[in-house]
Amino acid sequence: MKQVNQEDWLDQKLREATPYIDDEGFTARVLQQLPPPQRRHDLLRAVILLGMAFLASVLAYVVSGGGRFVSVTFERLAALPALWVFALALSSGLVIAAAGATAAVSRSRASLT
Amino acid sequence: MELTDADLVARVLVDDDQHAFGELVRRHQSAVRGLLRQLTRTDVALADDLAQQTFLRAYKNIRSFRGEARFSTWLYRIAYNCFREDARRRKELVGIDEEKLQTQHDPQVTDPGLRHDLMRALSLLPLNERSAVLLCCQNGLSHDEASRVLDIPLGTVKTNVLRGREKLKRMLADWGPN
Repeated sequence: MKQVNQEDWLDQKLREATPYIDDEGFTARVLQQLPPPQRRHDLLRAVILLGMAFLASVLAYVVSGGGRFVSVTFERLAALPALWVFALALSSGLVIAAAGATAAVSRSRASLT
Repeated sequence: MELTDADLVARVLVDDDQHAFGELVRRHQSAVRGLLRQLTRTDVALADDLAQQTFLRAYKNIRSFRGEARFSTWLYRIAYNCFREDARRRKELVGIDEEKLQTQHDPQVTDPGLRHDLMRALSLLPLNERSAVLLCCQNGLSHDEASRVLDIPLGTVKTNVLRGREKLKRMLADWGPN
């Protein structure tokens, strides 16, 4: 019982021994050292990428004679043997799965550091 | 209604909201600076430098905070790592031996204040015991949380807390309850 009282007493004194430390500009100093917000850069990058994708699409449409290549490609795909289509679908799936697994592994490694 | 730490972290993650991060710093600065002051044996300037490093590192790695532990526990872990890296650089990772511990205890002569004696007694503990006692007894972390912060087995934390407490009780025997 005395042992328990002593431990309570010690814990209480330890907690009392560390009073609240006033901020006194500490938070402001930390915030000053933060890197600039990424949001604007990300937004700018997204706008540039979307713009380029849009321009490329318009250009491809005009150059290909009004998008005739799309229907031609589908016709060619439809003419392919079933085995070829299956192999194409399987290899695409494998590439995407490998990329996903690599991204997951690198992300979990980054979170461990 | 006051936002929780998890809400503020979400704002930092989604919007890179530095005001939200500032609120997290304001909430936890006292505890982190207090812990580091004790770990650095009350070197206030060094402790505050390390506390700044802690929050900057927390900001850069906030995506790795998954919310499984309390935000404060995660911060303590970063703070302890900052301290350890700095101590390694300074080669100060050495404990104080028992002999020194015995000879330096003279509360009646040097300082009549319990707080001062307590701080000094803490600073005389070896680092592993000091950090375990600080986290568990002073900051209220469970043994399990402390083992995550210190990156040592649970059993070692319990042993270090026990030994640290015993030494503190011995050094503060004159002040203790009868």
